[in-house]
Amino acid sequence: MSGGETFANQPVLDLRLATERARLTAALAALDARLPLRVPVLIDGQVRHGDELRSLDPGDQTRTVATSARAGRDEVDRAVAVAEVAGRAWAERPMAERAAVLRRAAELLVEERAGLAALAVRECAKPWAQADADVCEAIDFLRYYGERSAALGGPLPQPPGEQNSLRYRARGVCAVIAPWNFPLAIPCGMTAAALVTGNPVVLKPAEQSPACAARLVELLHRAGVPAGALALLPGEGEAGAALVDHPRVATIAFTGSAGVGLEILRRAAEIVPGQRQLKRVVAEMGGKNCVVVAADADLDDVVPAILDSAFAFAGQKCSAASRVLVEADVAERLERRLAGALSTLVVGPAERFATDVPAVIERAAQERIERFQQLVRDDGGELVLGPGPEPDVAIADGCWVRPALALGLPPGAALLHEEVFGPLVSVERVADLDAALARVDALPFALTAGVFSRNPRTVRRIVDALPAGNVYVNRGITGAMVARQPFGGNRLSGTGTKAGGPDYLLSFVDPQAVTENTVRHGLVV
Amino acid sequence: MSAHATTAPEELIHRIGHELADALPHHRLGGGIDRQAIDRIAADPQLKAALFRFVDVAPAARSQREAAAHLEALLAEADRLPGPFAAVDGLARRPITAPLVGRGATWAVRRMARQFILAEDAAGATRSLAKLWDEGAATALDLLGEASVSDAEADTYAARCLDALEQLDRAYRGLPGRPRLDADGTGPLPRAHLSVKLSALTPQRHPFAPERVSEDAKRRLRPIARRARELGAHLHLDSESLDSREAVLSTALELLAEPEFADGPSAGVVLQAYLRDADEVLDRLLVTAGRRKPPLLVRLVKGAYWDHEVIDARQHGWTPAVHPDQAATDRAYEALTRRLLDARPAVRVAIASHNLRSVAHAIAHDRHGGGDGRDLELQVLLGLGEDLRTALARRGLRVRVYCPVGDLVAGMAYLVRRLLENTASDSFLDRQAHGASVDDLVRAP
Repeated sequence: MSGGETFANQPVLDLRLATERARLTAALAALDARLPLRVPVLIDGQVRHGDELRSLDPGDQTRTVATSARAGRDEVDRAVAVAEVAGRAWAERPMAERAAVLRRAAELLVEERAGLAALAVRECAKPWAQADADVCEAIDFLRYYGERSAALGGPLPQPPGEQNSLRYRARGVCAVIAPWNFPLAIPCGMTAAALVTGNPVVLKPAEQSPACAARLVELLHRAGVPAGALALLPGEGEAGAALVDHPRVATIAFTGSAGVGLEILRRAAEIVPGQRQLKRVVAEMGGKNCVVVAADADLDDVVPAILDSAFAFAGQKCSAASRVLVEADVAERLERRLAGALSTLVVGPAERFATDVPAVIERAAQERIERFQQLVRDDGGELVLGPGPEPDVAIADGCWVRPALALGLPPGAALLHEEVFGPLVSVERVADLDAALARVDALPFALTAGVFSRNPRTVRRIVDALPAGNVYVNRGITGAMVARQPFGGNRLSGTGTKAGGPDYLLSFVDPQAVTENTVRHGLVV
Repeated sequence: MSAHATTAPEELIHRIGHELADALPHHRLGGGIDRQAIDRIAADPQLKAALFRFVDVAPAARSQREAAAHLEALLAEADRLPGPFAAVDGLARRPITAPLVGRGATWAVRRMARQFILAEDAAGATRSLAKLWDEGAATALDLLGEASVSDAEADTYAARCLDALEQLDRAYRGLPGRPRLDADGTGPLPRAHLSVKLSALTPQRHPFAPERVSEDAKRRLRPIARRARELGAHLHLDSESLDSREAVLSTALELLAEPEFADGPSAGVVLQAYLRDADEVLDRLLVTAGRRKPPLLVRLVKGAYWDHEVIDARQHGWTPAVHPDQAATDRAYEALTRRLLDARPAVRVAIASHNLRSVAHAIAHDRHGGGDGRDLELQVLLGLGEDLRTALARRGLRVRVYCPVGDLVAGMAYLVRRLLENTASDSFLDRQAHGASVDDLVRAP
């Protein structure tokens, strides 16, 4: 059994090769021929189909990607009850056996990677490169957590006549409440972590991406996860809330907005009748991610890095750059170059390989982001709008938002404090780096942050002062990779857990220390 | 891929290598760089990293004090410093001496940069161009620029290109004729020779959608190509990293296929021998080359982005697209040299290498096939191949000096690449600087 040293990230496709692009395009055509998909409630291998919910192509709302059933309260109860029973047998299997199941699942994902990426392209408007990276990250989680599980626990002091061991045991039913923005990787990561440590999982995917989650669950079952140990409950907020409140749910793994996350933390803290253990919440929430640009930064690097961090996938990543704080000496130049670069972005359908900014996930998101754009003007800032969708795009059919820069906002402006989750980034001029750090420190969020400087001393000073969970130096601030960049925020951005990091599995287990007296009649036996 | 001419015998390559070595001024190769300093830097990876990073940032420093602070902070990254650098470090820490150190260090960087960069702009290069011509060398002018991130920046670059064409035309118009530089077997050669870069011509960066990039680049390149045709100048599209390789190729090949450019201008592209699929690239070039009246000039280089490509591939978990080592690249270079020379007159061939073996091999293959060097061009980089240039000119060969022009801040990426080349321990420049014999230097890779 390997101890984690053999892990290597699944390589993304080299899309510079026309052959790879053709392969993906063919996979999308094959998928389109099968639409709409049907996503059932799946409990103990039993499916209940329904058409209560629809997931639409964000770029073309006339296209239904999937219809899905909406899980009700009784189904939540049944799923948890089944999971609790099936989970016991699952927990009794050796860790290595469960890790092997995850490895098999990883292989299935590798085989189907083009089809899975196509699904993310259609259901979530993830541009190809990002969709492919999402598949790779899902594969990485399956392999990485499998390997890390072997490394759980360590040696304890062993005096004569006393045998000590520390074991980590499954906690029980884990509710996974997943977001749509990494529709494969994030549900897969949370689910894999819970499963490998012996916990049964009830997965509630985002209502915007049930088809991605359903395919993932199918592959996990095919790889050997018992039917009862993994349930799929498509639905909206109520299904998630019912899971959170359920007395027999032991762990809640959540990734999503700060509002929902804080609500989960609050409700999970309340002991309900029938509950026998404290619920543990692993929450990965929002950010207001800042990039600090020192005067000695190389703007040739800064501009593309900010552009990519703020606008790739239309800024719909919790790690996306949201505020740029730049020293006054280079501010005018950076603003001018950013504004110029903004106009070169390609806004278009996710399936085009040139697309930088796809449609945003749904109408409500489009309206929310447009409200923020209006707020920039209301707050006295200057809104620099980037291009609209490519000329041949039927604008009315998609949730299109023009990427934009907000300049000259006063410190109290709403945009500087609230998460937008869209292609909108502000640039603030600061007198010096201390002023920048003070503004960053005033924020309650601390997920990702960036520093651009060519002076190592400046870099160290800024890194030391930043509260963020993930700090990036002289590069973009998104694209954390499993094992290489354990991911997760501090402060109100999360519970401090690191997805894809060496300690992540500890959140899904209960420790048990066992001490045995090995002395019999004065002899150590 | 089999060449139709036979391979030149090793004996001939060696003889030509010795001829060239004998023609070197002071019988040594190399530019004007202080070899001792280079050795000291090359031997210490931490110091090398610190100094490279200083070279990169120095021209952007707002004050001498800031430059000193950078130098001091960068040197502090190294565990221990060799004597002279420790002394510099000490001075940079003191408030009174810091600005002096900053000024000195910035001056040193500028002085070094001036060896590689001809002038701040095309107008300022006129006298240097004439001097090089007088010494028997043609030039290829390269306008250094920051990467264009906006249409405005790309437009500015395109305007600089147009201006450079005028300046080049003026600079070369009155100069006396030089038969070796003015014509080859297929006809007259343009004196004005401008190299342009795709990353400056368009702000579009779409490695996965090269057609998007080349559409935008072609739009800006057309007026430049028109003016080059009117002035009888040569227009060359440089190669950069693999991210833009496909876009560069399609930009050049599609533009040259447009009816308007069927008869001119003279144009060219770069073939990077370190790419494992360089042979397939050459296949594509040869298909197009035959369709136009002016022969396509192919500049054969080893490739300047080796470190970048290897790092990029390793970070992505890919097999690098470049040959794993210098020897493999050198062998590929020779095979490509033969293919190119055998493909004349559809192509004109420029051998751009400072490696005595690679150069001797090309000359030998040409001679072996009955050539007299007239249909072979040799290119060197300003500041790196000065002695080789002199030797080549003395041997009556056509040599063209690649001359970057632009301000220092914009030239940093270029400068760092050249320094990397100079301090790489497996480089030809390093070997010859350390006294390898001519026989060693011309041995088959």
